[in-house]
Amino acid sequence: MSDKKKLKREQIIQCSLELFASRGFYSTTIPDIAKSLKMSVGNMYNYFKSKDILASEIIKYISIYLGEKLKEINEEDISTKEKTRKIVEMYFKTASLKPEMIDYFLRIYLSNREVFKDSCEGMLCVNEFVTEIMIYFEEGVKCGDLREQDFFSAFGLFMGYLGGMVFLKGENILPKDLNDYVEDITFNIYKALCAE
Amino acid sequence: MKTKMKILWLSAISCNGNTHSFLNYPYMEQFLDDFEFIYHPVIDSKYLLQDIVSKQIACDILLIEGAISKEYKRADVSIVEIIEKYSKIVQKIVTVGTCATFGGIFRESGYENASGLHFDQEKKLEDFKYLLDKTISLSGCPIHPEILANTLYAIKKSATLRLDNFLRPKEFYAYTVHNGCTRNEYFEYKVDNHKFGELEGCMYYEHGCQAPFTHGSCNKILWNEVSSKTRVGLPCMGCTEPSFPRQNLFSTKKNMSIPESLPVGVNKRVYLTLAGITKAFKIDRLEKKLFDD
Amino acid sequence: MIKLIEKIEGEAKLNFNFKDGKIDFVDVEFMSTRNIENILRGKRAFDALVINPRVCGICGHAHLIATVQALESCYDNLQLSNKAKAIRELTLNFELIQNHFKWFYLTMFPFFGHKQQILKATYPTQLMSKAIAVFGGQYPHTSYAVVGGVVCEITQMDIIKVENYISQTLKFVEENLVKIDSKTLLACKDADALLEFSGDLPDILREIKNTDMINHAKSYDRFIAFGENSFFKKGKSLKKKVSHSISLKDVKETEMPTSFAKNVSYKEKYYEVGPLARAMVNKTALIVDAHKKYGDSLYSRILARAYEITELLNYSKKLIKNLDLAEPSYIEPQLDISKLTSSGYSAVEAARGTLIHKVEIEKGIIKNYEIITPTQWNLSGGTREKLGVSQKAMVGLSDIKTAELVFKSFDVCSICTTH
Repeated sequence: MSDKKKLKREQIIQCSLELFASRGFYSTTIPDIAKSLKMSVGNMYNYFKSKDILASEIIKYISIYLGEKLKEINEEDISTKEKTRKIVEMYFKTASLKPEMIDYFLRIYLSNREVFKDSCEGMLCVNEFVTEIMIYFEEGVKCGDLREQDFFSAFGLFMGYLGGMVFLKGENILPKDLNDYVEDITFNIYKALCAE
Repeated sequence: MKTKMKILWLSAISCNGNTHSFLNYPYMEQFLDDFEFIYHPVIDSKYLLQDIVSKQIACDILLIEGAISKEYKRADVSIVEIIEKYSKIVQKIVTVGTCATFGGIFRESGYENASGLHFDQEKKLEDFKYLLDKTISLSGCPIHPEILANTLYAIKKSATLRLDNFLRPKEFYAYTVHNGCTRNEYFEYKVDNHKFGELEGCMYYEHGCQAPFTHGSCNKILWNEVSSKTRVGLPCMGCTEPSFPRQNLFSTKKNMSIPESLPVGVNKRVYLTLAGITKAFKIDRLEKKLFDD
Repeated sequence: MIKLIEKIEGEAKLNFNFKDGKIDFVDVEFMSTRNIENILRGKRAFDALVINPRVCGICGHAHLIATVQALESCYDNLQLSNKAKAIRELTLNFELIQNHFKWFYLTMFPFFGHKQQILKATYPTQLMSKAIAVFGGQYPHTSYAVVGGVVCEITQMDIIKVENYISQTLKFVEENLVKIDSKTLLACKDADALLEFSGDLPDILREIKNTDMINHAKSYDRFIAFGENSFFKKGKSLKKKVSHSISLKDVKETEMPTSFAKNVSYKEKYYEVGPLARAMVNKTALIVDAHKKYGDSLYSRILARAYEITELLNYSKKLIKNLDLAEPSYIEPQLDISKLTSSGYSAVEAARGTLIHKVEIEKGIIKNYEIITPTQWNLSGGTREKLGVSQKAMVGLSDIKTAELVFKSFDVCSICTTH
């Protein structure tokens, strides 16, 4: 793909994310997105053949984005506790700076599985993200910081907690800024996962 | 009459498993035309063990089976002394089996510093360093007879064998035991949940199969010309490796469900990505019983 | 006079004492040990399935079967399919057979003016190894028998392969060991009629009979066998009287001051184990007849071991015929071994006789492990007042060469003895 085409593709994804967040997934159509980008609908279809394909490409895009951030943290030579804090921080930061991204993940990807059933089996579309979380867990256990347990019991605790906080934030229920919770949440997660 | 290459088969702290595995070599008649044992633990030889330890009998190849400790004696002579004496006169030394190569099971036998000839598990030893150029390691518990016989033929032919870091011929040890396993598809598509006693399923994830990170030709050169452990449904125990025997051999060491030992040379990120992709799909053919109608 | 006896899966030192030109005492010494029991302590119970076959290169499979049975006896109500039981019996039979061929052609043959018959030993041995490999993946050193069954699933083609290995081995027997149809051999109940046949076994037996060797190597005429399966019976035979009620509780192992081997006795008495003992307990007609005519001599001992080859081949055919492939090979134990604190034991008939394993586990970890090998029974070295089985068999002989033959007729395994 040419750089120009790649850039355009990202623009479409970004624009779609914003429209989905403000108008809702089902009420936003491909022509709506094209219009907002001043593109022809025909040209739009050169990039994404259908709305379902667009939907799964977006989740992959988010997974790669978050996966890369996590990879940087995983590759740092720091303790598992430090890594835990950085992951929480990164997640909340993304939720503040790119709320539409986390919003899409929580409200669209997880809530409309029928849209994703053909191209996003299992965790296929969030592979990059999940792989990095796995590495974070695996290395944590291996170095003795984290307690050995089933992957999903740990994964559910970690991601469910973070997702829940972002959801509360989105509903304007949280009295404080997300960043103000980083310390406590890190403490809680680490305490739940650590070896002793 | 053609001259036969002379071999001394010397057992140290061993179970004679390599001796008996070697007796399964299918072309024994030809082999015994080409080689002569000046001493062998089972096959009759011209000399007695007592002759071997008290004199210095002409010999071309020294085969050592079993873990080595200077405390261990054969016919009242320390095994180390016997090795020192014969290693000087032979062209090549072959450590046969994992005990003679890395220490293996009998590394734990309680003899002082029991180890392989050049290695104590992964650690390189100083003791016989001057023999490194002469030695070929054939690890495996036991050694496959063809691997031993053909290595001896290579020595006879003066063929150059490329060796790995543990002095093992790459022709046999560059492969993993996973290569050629009939359960490969189950590994590729992550169909584990293997219960013993079934033709289906991969033992890597649940039952401690070490084939993807064990160097050897078990599934390339079949055992007894018939099968292999993994083919029948028994996990590979990693018996060719310095770490043999690991602990808890029938279960896979996992950290939060992720296997600690991954296929050799495969980066964790690559492995998890591929595993994640294949796990997302359900392949009916592999989920079903192999012979289902 | 001290002689180093070699090529008995290691060595043993025999110190012969002569009086009036005859051996009046032999001290048997094994010079080393490998501390397998210590190696096992502290390890996971299932790891014993991998470590124990490595007790011995020639009878390691018996150690595997003994291990799995000892571990299984630690459970309450463990389920095992008949298929798994039969497959384990088959592979153990095959190991016994390969052992007997090696012993006959490599160890016994050279004593009778022949060269060692290496190919006659390796050819049938390899067929039997192949048959084991069909089920176990390889021989030696498979760990295919696990708590709950066997790891292999068996197909029709596997059965055909194994049947062919058995038939081919029987053919070898009929063309070499005893040159008659094996059915005729199995029907033969007269130890002297056997001498009319040709073949490597009758050759040796005739040689024994025609010399004064026929009177050699008699011992206590006390036999014992603990390993019970669908073929072998458990019991003891005392002067031809067979009793099946024996208990492992009466088996005692004691340290010896001069050797690394330990003595084994049953109710404070030494007993002979091995094919002759099994045949006496099983009341195998041909062997009972040999025993009636020649006692517990070299003749009976050699005949019993060689004859067991044909018996086991024939019985293995039956076992295979009765296999129900629809049964499961493996039934997962209800209780995870890591939650199990218990103790257990097993006895199996290995090539050389009764092999006993005892295990204590604490939450799946081996606390204690004890192995009593067949050679310990036969070679328990007693005092002049209370001779061991093999010692007694050698007393009264006038030359060391014959004594070595007698000693080796017990199919000594130094490696096992010094586990």
